[in-house]
Amino acid sequence: MPALLEIRGLSAGLQGRRSVTQVVSNVDLDVRSGEILGVVGESGCGKSTLATAIMRLLVPPQVLQSGSMTLRLNKGSSYDLVKLSESELRELRWRHLSYIPQGSMNSLNPVLRVERQMTDTLIQHGLSDKEARSRAIAALELVNLEPKILYSYPHELSGGMRQRVIIAAAVSMRPALIVADELTTALDVVTQRQILQELIGIRDELGATIILITHDMGVVAQIADRVAVMYAGKIAELGTVNGIFETPLHPYSQGLIGSIPRESGQRVEGLLGEAPSPWNYPTGCRFHPRCPKVFAHCRAQTPALQVQASDRWAACHLYDAEVAADA
Amino acid sequence: MRDLLVVENLRQIFGGRNQTFAVDDVSFRIPAEPTIVSLVGESGSGKSTIARIILGLLQPTAGRVLYDGADIAMSGRKWNRKFRGEVQAVFQDPYSVYNPVYKAERVLKLVIRKFGLAKSKAEAQAMMEEALRAVDLRPEEVLDRHPHQLSGGQRQRLMLARVYLMRPRLIVADEPVSMIDAGMRASFLNILQDFRDSHGISTLFITHDLSTAMYLGGEIIVLYQGRIMEQGATQTVMNAPLHPYAQLLISSIPTPDPRRRWDEDLSAAPLAEIGYGASAGRERCLFADRCPQVMDQCWGARPRLQAPKIDAVDSAQRDVACYLYE
Ligand SMILES: Nc1ncnc2c1ncn2[C@@H]1O[C@H](COP(=O)(O)OP(=O)(O)OP(=O)(O)O)[C@@H](O)[C@H]1O
Ligand SMILES: Nc1ncnc2c1ncn2[C@@H]1O[C@H](COP(=O)(O)OP(=O)(O)OP(=O)(O)O)[C@@H](O)[C@H]1O
Ligand code: SF4
Ligand code: SF4
Ligand SMILES: [Mg+2]
Ligand SMILES: [Mg+2]
Repeated sequence: MPALLEIRGLSAGLQGRRSVTQVVSNVDLDVRSGEILGVVGESGCGKSTLATAIMRLLVPPQVLQSGSMTLRLNKGSSYDLVKLSESELRELRWRHLSYIPQGSMNSLNPVLRVERQMTDTLIQHGLSDKEARSRAIAALELVNLEPKILYSYPHELSGGMRQRVIIAAAVSMRPALIVADELTTALDVVTQRQILQELIGIRDELGATIILITHDMGVVAQIADRVAVMYAGKIAELGTVNGIFETPLHPYSQGLIGSIPRESGQRVEGLLGEAPSPWNYPTGCRFHPRCPKVFAHCRAQTPALQVQASDRWAACHLYDAEVAADA
Repeated sequence: MRDLLVVENLRQIFGGRNQTFAVDDVSFRIPAEPTIVSLVGESGSGKSTIARIILGLLQPTAGRVLYDGADIAMSGRKWNRKFRGEVQAVFQDPYSVYNPVYKAERVLKLVIRKFGLAKSKAEAQAMMEEALRAVDLRPEEVLDRHPHQLSGGQRQRLMLARVYLMRPRLIVADEPVSMIDAGMRASFLNILQDFRDSHGISTLFITHDLSTAMYLGGEIIVLYQGRIMEQGATQTVMNAPLHPYAQLLISSIPTPDPRRRWDEDLSAAPLAEIGYGASAGRERCLFADRCPQVMDQCWGARPRLQAPKIDAVDSAQRDVACYLYE
């Protein structure tokens, strides 16, 4: 599958008084056309920062430091998102990209009916009232909501319905790429399941590509095609969902997956220690203070994300033949 | 032996023009033997309201709570002190419980002083260290820190250390792990199990996360719109739920195994309407509007919570409120 988005060496950080504290470091990632790519990792590992960097929506003190992001749309046009001007970006976002930020369920304007919230932007971009309405209705259908919801105010809707309205608004222009951050975190499992299944339907129906950011390993196992595991601002491992769950290579992925109980009553030990924050990322491999397989080299040298098998990348010295032989 | 906690016909109706039946005739018990009981249900199903009533923070509209045989609403000062010591709460975000200018050490010392737990400084120090080790924290790493210098997981465990100092008989924990990452969740839950097994401490564990309830084992109570739909041994209920709502709920858990994905597509299923108990009335099965097996009688009266009339060996270990099993 060709890459819809090719991210290379992407770094983003927080501008301090004297220097920038790097939050996301040197991310290389191909997002394949039509896939659901799950991005997982502990709280604070930089998932949302990566998502906002991809959308070029970082706000100070957040800064984009370096890298490139090549977006290839099907008409053969390609863009480096990093190099685009604000107005070019606005145009591209409106037509082809869509972003559902963390917590957006609560971002609907309480005094406006759903209709206005769904159609205002469409109309601003030149659609007629009638066109905008029919697009809104078509989008609502994708998330299993009836047109009559257009006349409701947000407070009249349950959390699941509000989240559906947000999704519908995000997909009404049939975007090529949807970045959804913690889409179902606040919802109960039944609603979560329905919405995730609707998301699969949207992917199939629109042929969209989806980056789904979550800390819930169950959610990625259920709907992702591939998984990127993030740790302390870097991609630790990337592979197919079956591959990552069955034979995780990176000790951090192994810890994450090992801490999932398989059977009722089975006891598992959690990961030891705590994840570092950007202000105290460790030297060398950032996972080294918590890694059960750490060796001397890990403290000094940063492992690069390298291909380890078909469709699998990991950043760990254990798989670095020369280094591991030295150890 | 006397049950540790008995909840009898609890009802909580919040007023106003649109009455909310937050808790609608709920009864259950926590036995004297150390047990973990998980109270699960979707948002708004009444979990926190039940917790607040049990903790004596809210006066119920009807019904009562007996702790160690005595009605918590009726009892006097001496009894109050016993209750405050023996029943401890742990909430979702312990941040609010801590005074931000106090270091962890101060948080623990205050408890020791308030409850007169230690006779000397040395004894207090030893108690603190033991409590921290009981929750897998290293004293030298946390005692000298302010709450904001601890991670979410560490703060939650500090909260447990504080609770441990008081050696309660019952912990009421309302969504204590929903802010903690999966990797660290297990260690928090392991501590509750150790408390039960080694220190005789029971827990009423409130969560909307069924996989956490499954991990804890013990007993489970499934709530829906303020009513109990099914209750019993966690393993029994999770492996083979009987109530159609419990079945839907349990089959919707996102199993962290890509080879066991949801088989049925629910995206066209009817959505739950909002406004609990509004127009259709509540003299019916509240799940009737979503139930794939709904029958005429389900609309006529409320099904009673009782042992299911089926031949399964485990039917004695649980109760179900559904006409399919009457
Ligand atoms: N605007 C900001 N100001 C200060 N710190 C920030 C800002 N944005 C991000 N950070 C810090 O950068 C780190 C990464 O944050 P980010 O929100 O990307 O993590 P995340 O993986 O999305 O976490 P979560 O799972 O909790 O949503 C965190 O330590 C966070 O505190
Ligand atoms: N003080 C109050 N006044 C009015 N209504 C209330 C009050 N407290 C709770 N409710 C309502 O009672 C119902 C049950 O609320 P409760 O907080 O017990 O649910 P919950 O199961 O804990 O939900 P969650 O998982 O979201 O925490 C909800 O409909 C809620 O809006
Ligand atoms: S590089 Fe070393 S410390 Fe890092 S994950 Fe691999 S073995 Fe562990
Ligand atoms: S009582 Fe009727 S509507 Fe309610 S769960 Fe049972 S079969 Fe379904
Ligand atoms: Mg985030
Ligand atoms: Mg609650």
